Amino acid sequence: MHIVVCVKAVPGSTEVKMDPKTHTIVRDGGAAVVNPFDATALELALRLRDARVAAGEPSRVSALSMGIPATEALLRDCMARGADEALLLSDRAFAGADTLATTYALTCGIARLAKGAGEPALVLCGKMAVDGDTAQIGPELAGALGAACATDVREILACDAHAVLVRAAVDGGMAELELPLPAVLTVAKEAAQLRMPSIAGVRAAAAAPVPVATAQAVGADTARIGLAGSPTQVVRSFVPEQRSRAVPVVGTPAEQAARLVQIIAEVS
Amino acid sequence: MAGLVVDAARCVGCGRCVRACGNAGIEVRDRLAYPTDGCLLCGACVDACPVGAIAIEHSQVDAADLASWHDVWVFAQVEREGGLAPVAMELVGKARELACARGCRVVALLAAAESESGALASTLIARGADEVRLACDERFASADPELLAGWVCAEVRAGRPEIVLFGATPLGRELAPRVAVTLQTGLTADCTVLAIDSQTGLLQQTRPAFGGNLMATIVCPTHRPQMATVRPGVFAAPEPDPSRTGAVVAAPLAPGAASRVRLRAFAPTSAGASLVQARRLVVVGRGIGSQKNLPLMRRLAELLGAQLGCTRPLVEAGWLDYPHQIGQTGASVAPELLVSVGVSGAVQHLAGIGGAKTVIAINEDAGAPIFGAAHYRVVGDAIAVVRALVERLEADAVAR
Amino acid sequence: MARGAVAEGLIRPFEAEYEDYVRDESRSRGHAESISFPTSEEEVREVLRALAPEAAPVTVQGARTGLAAGAVPAGGHVMNLSRMNRYLGLRQDEEGRFYLRVQPGVVLLDLRRHLAARDIPANGWDDASLRALEALSAAPLQMFPTDPTETSACLGGMAACNASGARSFRYGPMRGHVSALRLVLADGDVLALRRGEARARGRALALTTEGGRALAIDLPTYEMPVCKNASGYYAADDMDALDLIIGSDGTLGIITEIELALMPAPAVTWAVSCFLTDERQVLDATCLLRRSLAHASALEYFDEAALRILRAQRAAGAAFASLVEPPAGARACLYVELACDTEDEAMADLARVGAALEEVGASERATWVARTDVDREALTFFRHAVPESVNMLIDERRRTDPSVTKLGSDMAVPDERLHDVVALYRTTLAEAGLEAAAWGHIGNNHLHVNVLPRDASDYAAGKRLFARWAREVAAMGGAVSAEHGVGKLKRDFLQEMYGRRALVEMARVKQVFDPQGQLGRGNLFDEALLADVPAAPGARAGAAAGKGGA
Repeated sequence: MHIVVCVKAVPGSTEVKMDPKTHTIVRDGGAAVVNPFDATALELALRLRDARVAAGEPSRVSALSMGIPATEALLRDCMARGADEALLLSDRAFAGADTLATTYALTCGIARLAKGAGEPALVLCGKMAVDGDTAQIGPELAGALGAACATDVREILACDAHAVLVRAAVDGGMAELELPLPAVLTVAKEAAQLRMPSIAGVRAAAAAPVPVATAQAVGADTARIGLAGSPTQVVRSFVPEQRSRAVPVVGTPAEQAARLVQIIAEVS
Repeated sequence: MAGLVVDAARCVGCGRCVRACGNAGIEVRDRLAYPTDGCLLCGACVDACPVGAIAIEHSQVDAADLASWHDVWVFAQVEREGGLAPVAMELVGKARELACARGCRVVALLAAAESESGALASTLIARGADEVRLACDERFASADPELLAGWVCAEVRAGRPEIVLFGATPLGRELAPRVAVTLQTGLTADCTVLAIDSQTGLLQQTRPAFGGNLMATIVCPTHRPQMATVRPGVFAAPEPDPSRTGAVVAAPLAPGAASRVRLRAFAPTSAGASLVQARRLVVVGRGIGSQKNLPLMRRLAELLGAQLGCTRPLVEAGWLDYPHQIGQTGASVAPELLVSVGVSGAVQHLAGIGGAKTVIAINEDAGAPIFGAAHYRVVGDAIAVVRALVERLEADAVAR
Repeated sequence: MARGAVAEGLIRPFEAEYEDYVRDESRSRGHAESISFPTSEEEVREVLRALAPEAAPVTVQGARTGLAAGAVPAGGHVMNLSRMNRYLGLRQDEEGRFYLRVQPGVVLLDLRRHLAARDIPANGWDDASLRALEALSAAPLQMFPTDPTETSACLGGMAACNASGARSFRYGPMRGHVSALRLVLADGDVLALRRGEARARGRALALTTEGGRALAIDLPTYEMPVCKNASGYYAADDMDALDLIIGSDGTLGIITEIELALMPAPAVTWAVSCFLTDERQVLDATCLLRRSLAHASALEYFDEAALRILRAQRAAGAAFASLVEPPAGARACLYVELACDTEDEAMADLARVGAALEEVGASERATWVARTDVDREALTFFRHAVPESVNMLIDERRRTDPSVTKLGSDMAVPDERLHDVVALYRTTLAEAGLEAAAWGHIGNNHLHVNVLPRDASDYAAGKRLFARWAREVAAMGGAVSAEHGVGKLKRDFLQEMYGRRALVEMARVKQVFDPQGQLGRGNLFDEALLADVPAAPGARAGAAAGKGGA
């Protein structure tokens, strides 16, 4: 069974401030990390692979990312933790992609990975990325691949060569959904905690290859990637106004209490 | 229009494209290939064609084409129990505003499993829809986003709306991207502000990113429809106007459509009172001094009709059980009113109360970080203030 | 009694609402008659001047996180400094090092956050400090290296007990990272000390207060052990006066200002939890790693019982549900932290850790390497969950037998006695039939062996065992308290370690600073000993001057 996990490099912190002098947005995110939701997806993929291997079925996990060249270090970290291979789509032509263009690029990467390890039975993504917060890539990938999809998956209950059974959050509650393979699953962060690598894993991954592919190398249509392939455009970014400063309630405890009774009545 | 185009002069009808396609998106008739509705524009056939006869064409800003798209559509989600999701009404209200500015109509897409959905259509019209495109079909009972996406795409292709809005519910968040990728258009998630250019019809979509630390305004200038999702509760639902009239148009689901995903079990979220669902909360921290003050805090919660929560140190000290813990390692809450008593406001705790609408913080330490997250700050001896507050509330209760 | 108007407002009767202030993390409790929460050095002096004529006992407190009951009052007045928590200024020396001046109530966690976020509150700072702050914001990220597990500790308390932490393996205890401090004496006079400016000649130390009083101190004559040590006053030939104050357990004066020497934070911090199958492997690996690693900042150990309790609490409770589960078959955990300038350095040390594990018969596969914040936090949570889960176990037992409390040891020995001291712990625990869990700073041969009494007789047996350990550890050239300080709980051990004569020497030092014996009553010395020690001539003169000035 071939399982592809899509991972995104995100800033270590999502803190954003406005530079008071230049009035530009300062995204002092620190070192990039694997999007925490994608980290959970990787763990679920590794567990599933380990279970399939234990059941006697040769299985592989591939980690796929589109990003800047430095993203290679994060893919190497995925390998240290147990991914069997990795592929980085990195090319200036991919830059500026919205979710639609990203989805297309990822389908190109999946096709490339499929050449080596076979058509993936499962594609796993985090439910959303902590920087973009769109939660669109998973279902768009499912649409593009023509695959069944479950979002906000909390647990993979069972999986065989034909179908996967998951527990996922849906409107009004939790559902157990059975999906035919191939399928795309997007994963909630709390579903699992990504395992740490061992010393052996770190050392092996340090020596392992992480192929980097350009748009041309994966046969991507340049009109469908990057800025050119993105229907949406950001026209303005701004830092929202801070929550207004708290209104002081002063006086003796009795006076404060009297005012609080009024406030409570006003707000609810 | 953007899409898959076949150069009839080059095509030899070899059928390699049909074999390359995973979605029956292309077929060969009379030695010539034709794209079908199943085409996802994935490009597999383009790569497979030995004579370079297939291409995907992209739309430029084509004023004539853009002008052929009109009206604001809303996907009106039906809840599992059969009623309209509140966000459907909220979206119809927003669509009404946009349509008024643009001078166009509001159309609601209604897919229901029940046959008596006429009442739902009437509700949508009363809230502002001019037309309801209605599909009543038992196949919608499982609320499968893929099935719904196929239906929505077919309707959009036929009706050519300028804008389509979805609720950012679990269903909407899966449905809208599937529709967007199939139609190869833009989609903006979780918009909090929607405004329209009345001349061009360009939708200005503003949404938070980076966990709400950054806002971005997004447009979709060359592709139609423009699509956005909106979280429930962001826009107010308009009051119903029973005198409004509108058309209900039958829009049946294609006969061959079927769900691939099977719903094997469903467990509704328990409706029991929990911190997460509480409308009012009293949250206590180390600043209440001692365990013997807990009954006073319980009394305050009782008088306010609130649940009692606490910070981690109190759970660690054994004063309250873990289910009461609020913060990163406990529950994340979003009550309308949160009264925070003697809570200093460690970052981990603040992470759990970000959703509260109104926060009243009572703390002796004027520099406590909790005040940074509060709407009302009460600096003073927490016990004395709460005691006075309880007295006051008790007196009010008696007076009533 | 005629107290000044200001002091009158500061000193509050000890009412029921202050109940918390008779306890600290040691879970022992004391009693007091009054309490104050000064916010400035001036207020500290005001309170002390008001209390001196009555010779009232004064117990100073910070965050009350101590484990040796140093902040538990023994009657009299409680002076709580938690509201003295301002950042006072910053300077940079010629070598580019930064020194941050803080009030004693600043909490370690806040200090760390402000340093990490580069947003130290600078309200009211002078121009020189603000210029240094600008330099700091352009400099590589700085840190304060002392890292006790309890991050809600305050800097004053940490200085008073010469705090340590896991990283003391690399950076030593707090003492070396304090460059200056201000100390208010029992009579309200002030002693300002800056490193390098006041040194002893041999064991004789002469100091002058800001009020002009001369203090002539005969430093104790004992030799301190060559291992991690927080037992009694620091005493060495030609020592710096500052080093006497640090670790003096609140018995000499009240620290009202501390200047912290900052250092650049390491660019690369990797942590490794290694899971081994027996304790012998851990001891052997520790000895190998001490020699082979170039950049280790911490070497910590968690024994089989600690892991077992952790597993049980994890299975039982929500609080630890998110804890990563130790690998099956793991019977010991060795935690190694690497602080390096580059990833290449870290990689080289990581390979050395792997090699050492293989050499002692463990596997480099049974390891968790934390190289991201998330993973580092997971390992930190794991390490901190060990003592917490043991506390939870004890709390459960207390419900049936309230007399039961945890008995935690804090002893260290020189490097070459590591195997010996662990053998001592294991054989004597087995002989006594006691349940115990051990963890701690194995790199410094410093384990916290925690006896987990099931009933009162276990508790008594545990206390006897600790007394025996104190004797034998002292005989190995070790320290009876390596980091928690002596406080009130380990006074007897201190006498085991240094002998009564040394205690008398220490008491004489105290008398020079605090002639009426007001400060930190019960810390280091029992009441009887202080009463016995004849006052030194210098002390008497000082006391008279103090009273005359009041």
